[in-house]
Amino acid sequence: MASLPKRIIKETERLVTDPVPGITAEPHDDNLRYFKVTIEGPAGSPYENGLFHLELYLPDDYPMEAPKVRFLTKIYHPNIDRLGRICLDILKTNWSPALQIRTVLLSVQALLASPNPNDPLANDVAEDWIKNETGAKAKAKEWTSLYAKKE
Amino acid sequence: MGNVPTKLDQDGNPIEPVSRPGYPSGNTGSSSTGTSFSGQSTNDGKTRSKRATSLVSTFLNSGSRYRSGSMQDTTYHSPHKKRSTKEKEQMKEQHARNIIVKYDESVDGGFMAPFGSYSYDKLDYDATVVKSLIIQRRLAPFYTPLQDFDPTWSREELLKIVDGLPLHASFDENPEEFEDIPIGDLKKPNFDYLIDKSSSKKEYRNMHSKIFKARLYQKRIYWQERENESFLETKLEVREGKAQNNYLPSNDLKYDLYSNGSECPICFLYFPEPMNYSKCCQQPICTECFVQIKRAEPHFPHEEVDPTKPIQNDNEKDPNLLTTEPSNCPYCATAEFAVVYTPPKNRKVGIQGIPPATYKSVNEPSETNDKDETTTAKNPNNVVSSDAIRPDWENKLNKERIRLARRSANATAIHVSNQLIDPDYASTSNDTTISSSRKTTITTSRHGSNTASRGSRQRSRQSIQDLENEMIQEAIRLSLEDEQQQNKSLKNKSPKKK
Ligand SMILES: [Zn+2]
Ligand SMILES: [Zn+2]
Repeated sequence: MASLPKRIIKETERLVTDPVPGITAEPHDDNLRYFKVTIEGPAGSPYENGLFHLELYLPDDYPMEAPKVRFLTKIYHPNIDRLGRICLDILKTNWSPALQIRTVLLSVQALLASPNPNDPLANDVAEDWIKNETGAKAKAKEWTSLYAKKE
Repeated sequence: MGNVPTKLDQDGNPIEPVSRPGYPSGNTGSSSTGTSFSGQSTNDGKTRSKRATSLVSTFLNSGSRYRSGSMQDTTYHSPHKKRSTKEKEQMKEQHARNIIVKYDESVDGGFMAPFGSYSYDKLDYDATVVKSLIIQRRLAPFYTPLQDFDPTWSREELLKIVDGLPLHASFDENPEEFEDIPIGDLKKPNFDYLIDKSSSKKEYRNMHSKIFKARLYQKRIYWQERENESFLETKLEVREGKAQNNYLPSNDLKYDLYSNGSECPICFLYFPEPMNYSKCCQQPICTECFVQIKRAEPHFPHEEVDPTKPIQNDNEKDPNLLTTEPSNCPYCATAEFAVVYTPPKNRKVGIQGIPPATYKSVNEPSETNDKDETTTAKNPNNVVSSDAIRPDWENKLNKERIRLARRSANATAIHVSNQLIDPDYASTSNDTTISSSRKTTITTSRHGSNTASRGSRQRSRQSIQDLENEMIQEAIRLSLEDEQQQNKSLKNKSPKKK
C-alpha cells in the first residue's frame, strides 16, 4: 500500500480539531481510509433523538472518486435502501474532488431532514411516503426509537 | 526580459522540440494559439449524427480494407486506425518517459512532470500538450509541493526545508497488480522468452500485455530514480563547492517561490504562487490536480439505476448512444472546466528564461511589469480547458462504441429486429412494469424529465438509427469474416518465414 495522501491526513485532523455538530467520524486503527461515523437525527425530523451509525470508506482514487458511505443502522427513508445504501447525487455522478468527508456527511444529515421521495432508492418506502406521508413519517419515527436509540 | 533564448536552451538540454499543429514553440502569448484550446461544442444534434455516421463509415472502411487486402493502405487516416501492438507499446513507453521529473528541465522554478501525488495509471493526460503549455507559460509548472507551511518560518528554516525536498514522491515498488508477473531483464527489449510457449494465442497476448505493463512500471521507477540520484549528487557537489550548476535554483529563487504560496483546495498541499485559477470562479488548483480532472468514462445517458424499471442490459443498447460530457468545475460545477494562469512577472526562469542558479530577487516592481500583468490577464490564450490536455477523448469514445458494437453484435441484431417489428418496442418493454400513477411522479423527478426529453428526440431519430444499426451489423460481420480469413492465410504463410 502506498502511504496515506496528505489530504486524508489533514481532513482527519480537521475533523477532530473542528468537529461538525451532530456528526462524528473516526478512522479505524488498522485502516485509516475506513471511518466509523455517527449522525444525530436532525431536530424536527422523524429521525430526531436517533443516533445513526454509518461506515465511510475512502477508495484509492479519493478525492478523484467519491467516498463510499453506507448506513449501518436500520432506517426508514425513501432515499436509503435496506442495505443502507444512500441515493445522493454527490456520492455518484455529481461528486467533485473539492467536496470532503465533512461536506458529504453534512449532505447525508440534510437528506435525513428533507427526504426526497420523487428520486427514490427504496421504492416501497417512497411509495408509502407519497401516498401517506403522515403514516410514513410515523413509521420512520417508530424505527428511529426501535433501532437508533442513543446509548 | 527573457525574450532571447538563453544558454539553457542551447547547451544540449534534452528537451524534445515541441512542434504540434497550433503550438508555436516560440515565446509566450503569441497570436492565435488559443483557438485550439477553446472548448469544443458537442451539444448539438449535428455533431452527434456526424459521429454516428463516421462510426458506420469506419466499419465499412475497415471492412473494405480487409477485403481489398491492402493492409498497408497509407491513405487510411481514421483515428481508429489499428496500431500494431509494437507501436502502441512504443507510445506508452514514450509517455512514461514524458512524465519523468528532471531537475534540469524547469520553468519558473517548477517542473514539466508531476511530483507523484496521484498513482501512475491515472497520469493519462497528453504529456506533450501539457509540457508545451508549461513552456508557453499558459499553465503553471508542476512544482514540488510542501506537505505543510508555517508562515513563522525564517528564511533559513524555509530554505533548509526546500533543500531537502525530493524530486519525486516515493514509489510503491511492488504493487499488488504486478505481484506474480515476471519482468525479466529490463535492458533487453525482447521478453517473449518469459511467456509459456504452449499458451494459446489469446493467453499469449494477455500475458504479453501484463508483462509489458509490469516492465514499464519498473522502468519508470528506474528512470525517475536515475534522475533523483543525479539531482542529489549535483546538489551535494555544488554544496561542497566542487562544481557549479546552472540548473539548480538560487536561494533567492527558492525563497521567493515558497515564501509566498497557497494550499491547493483539492490535494491540500502547499504550492508556490501563482497557481492556476478556475476560469468560472477563480479558485486555485495545482497543475497536478488539474491534470486529474477529466471527462467521465463513456457511459449511456441517465445511467443512474432506476429501480422501478427492469435493468436493461448494456448489450441491448445502441453503442451510438454512448456519451461523455466535458468535466465540470470541481468548485462551482460550471460546465466545461477551464483554468487561467498568469505567469509570474519577475521570474522568467529555466526553459526560455534565465538559468535558475542566476536568479536574484527583485524588490521594486517596475512599471513595465505592471503593464504586462494587465495585458496577460485579459489574454484569452491563457485559458486552458480540461479537454485541451486530453485531446483524444473523442477517439476514446468512438473506440468504446466500436468495442461495444463488436461485443454485442448479436444482441444488437435482436434488438434491431424487435424495433423493426414494433417501433415502440424499447419504450413499451420498459413501461409495462410501472403503474400509471408512478409514471407521472417519475416524469416530475429529476431523472424522469431527463428521460422524457431524450426519449422524444430519440424516437425521431429512431429510423435512422435502425438503419445505422443494421449497417454496423453488416460491417462487423464482414470485417470479422475477413479478419478470420486474413488470419487463416497469415497462418498458412507464416511457417515459411519463421
Ligand atoms: Zn492540488
Ligand atoms: Zn468554478
